[in-house]
Amino acid sequence: MSSLLATSIQVAKKDLRLYFRDRTGVILGFLLPIGLVGVFGFVNKMAFGSEGGLSRSTLWYVDEDESEKSQQFLASLRTANTLRLRPRSDDPAETRETLEDKLHDGEAHHCLIIPAGFGASLAGGKLPPLQMLRDPGRDLEGQMISIGLLQGLFAAAGTDSSHLLTARALQLAGLPEAWNDRIQQVSRGFQTSVELLFQEAEEADRRPPSQNQGAEPPEQSTSSGPDFLSIMNGLVPVDYTDFAPPERPKMLSYFLAQSVSGIGVMMLMFGLIACASMLIKEREDGTLPRLMVSPAPRDAYLWGKFLFALIIGAAQLVVLFAFGNLVFDVDVLRDPITLGVVSLAVLVAVTAFGMLVAAWASTIKQAEGVSTLVILTMSALGGAWYPIQTIDLPPLASLATHSTITYWAMTAYQGLFWHGKPWTDPVMLRSMAVLLGFAVVASIAAVWFYRRRYAGRRPA
Amino acid sequence: MTTPTVASTPALLTVKNLSFRYKQQVALREVNFEIDSGEIFGLLGPNGAGKTTTISCVAGLLGQYGGELAFRGSSFRPFESSGDRQHLGVVPQDLALYEDLTARENLEFFGGLVGLRAGDLGQAIQSALILAGLVERADDRVKTYSGGMKRRLNLAIGQLHRPDLLLLDEPTAGVDPQSRNHLFEALERLRQEGRTIVYTTHYMEEAQRLCDRIAIMDRGRVIAVGTASQLADQAGIPGADLERVFLELTGRSLRDG
Ligand SMILES: Nc1ncnc2c1ncn2[C@@H]1O[C@H](COP(=O)(O)OP(=O)(O)O)[C@@H](O)[C@H]1O
Ligand SMILES: [Mg+2]
Repeated sequence: MSSLLATSIQVAKKDLRLYFRDRTGVILGFLLPIGLVGVFGFVNKMAFGSEGGLSRSTLWYVDEDESEKSQQFLASLRTANTLRLRPRSDDPAETRETLEDKLHDGEAHHCLIIPAGFGASLAGGKLPPLQMLRDPGRDLEGQMISIGLLQGLFAAAGTDSSHLLTARALQLAGLPEAWNDRIQQVSRGFQTSVELLFQEAEEADRRPPSQNQGAEPPEQSTSSGPDFLSIMNGLVPVDYTDFAPPERPKMLSYFLAQSVSGIGVMMLMFGLIACASMLIKEREDGTLPRLMVSPAPRDAYLWGKFLFALIIGAAQLVVLFAFGNLVFDVDVLRDPITLGVVSLAVLVAVTAFGMLVAAWASTIKQAEGVSTLVILTMSALGGAWYPIQTIDLPPLASLATHSTITYWAMTAYQGLFWHGKPWTDPVMLRSMAVLLGFAVVASIAAVWFYRRRYAGRRPA
Repeated sequence: MTTPTVASTPALLTVKNLSFRYKQQVALREVNFEIDSGEIFGLLGPNGAGKTTTISCVAGLLGQYGGELAFRGSSFRPFESSGDRQHLGVVPQDLALYEDLTARENLEFFGGLVGLRAGDLGQAIQSALILAGLVERADDRVKTYSGGMKRRLNLAIGQLHRPDLLLLDEPTAGVDPQSRNHLFEALERLRQEGRTIVYTTHYMEEAQRLCDRIAIMDRGRVIAVGTASQLADQAGIPGADLERVFLELTGRSLRDG
């Protein structure tokens, strides 16, 4: 055993020497990932900084009022095209506490609480009180949810609510609260005038055939007047409670954190496959049989390569995270122990995967071809390019997503960078356990292939 | 099959009924020979005769052969036992060097693999460099070497730990005459130190010049074993050279392959 270790270390030392002798290779191995992280980071920032990219935002709720009005409100939220309401109607109801847990675990980012008295205040001609527990970095989803709430309220309170909302909108735009009655008067007058206009249009038969009264996309006003979007967001009076780790840097956005760790993990896979492929090169160069005929343990070549790839991978991660820290405000050193533990789990899993490919493939071309395919697939499925966790996937796709190394690596890194979890958190422990599981299975398979192909079980 | 020696002390290596087949190809059919301590033993035969396969079985690269191997009279299983491999040094037919490392670094690495440490390793490296005539170029990268220099380093690595039995597979392939002479001198020196050497070649002049005894191989069989003159006698043409002996024994020329 000790000679296995000693030989592995010798092999790794020799490989490191060879690796750093290839200057261009080293530069590419370290600069390429940085370049890609940069590009993807900025692209993601731009793509998701505007509204285009997202379909529906998940909104969790608990109904503490349980009135007819609140049921109506929820039914309408359920059909809102900007929302994905959870729990589903046939799932068990949540409570305030379970929702707080979900927020803490990163499973939810917005949780709506409909407090007792909701129905009563609507019936009494007042805007009802609502509460929201949220993850404050998820602004984009927050806006979609505001729009959904507005639609829901209209549906629940009928046209009467429009006066209440109009009044609130004009207050937010700067009119004094005391003028509430006057504002409502104007609003009702406005409605009457509009109705007259429609009548007139009908008479002139110029009215468009179908009514199209869904929520119009809000026009962004370019004048210096009140910002329509922020009025929209504020229309429904919601009392927000922020749930964010206090140390999270203000500038960090969810998508940037995702990009830095996502591309990091992807590039790590490419780098480690290249390292592992040195195993095949040794066989092609004939240096491998030299080890096979030496008295040193034969498995040591595999483990030596493993050790070597692990060291190079660790160095790449250090450089990448330093870059992410400098450029994108991912505060990598906030919890160095968790960073180390998570990175080790990721490294071991990815390295084992690289060893498997190298031990399986019979030529470098094969290894490169297969690994490129697998890495790109895993990166896409596992959320290295796009926050796949924000998409509602059918069960089969979700299974595929969960069976990638990338997914669990991303979950662990996002758990650290975004949710600020320590490595002892159950979500983190589970991710790392899955990663280690991958590592063990891939290592066993790699040893099996290696012994079959390299250690003379059949002629090389 | 004639075995000339009926020795009281067992041979260094005994190869008995060695057979091997690749997936489709039968490479060795019941090969028999014995190697005595201190001799240079030649395996002479055209390409495809089975020389490399024989060496690979003895070196522990191939495991699923038929027949038996014995080392100093006791069972020898180099494929399974790393202790058995400790007796061996192997110089592969194809160069097996790290081109981006220097000669010294190559020697360091392979010396570490055969278990040499610290002071022993340093001394072994120094004498290996002298043997290979590479003292001056020891710290240049191997990729800057000529073909002959690489061949010499290839040999120097194989004998680094002074193995009881040194297996050389066609060490002169693609080497200019001057480097070949240098290589022969190195082998002579190893013989004088008492090393036992197995030398495979398809050049009959090399076998004639270097080897104490020769096994002639063809199509996976050993056809005859003995000194050059014993072989000529066996073929019934005393005094003839190995080329003619081979022709007489096989009906084919050595160059046919
Ligand atoms: N890896 C291999 N796979 C299949 N056949 C092989 C392999 N290596 C050698 N052979 C075949 O086995 C026979 C003996 O080959 P080899 O031992 O290399 O001969 P030599 O070294 O004398 O040239 C040849 O017919 C060769 O084609
Ligand atoms: Mg050969």
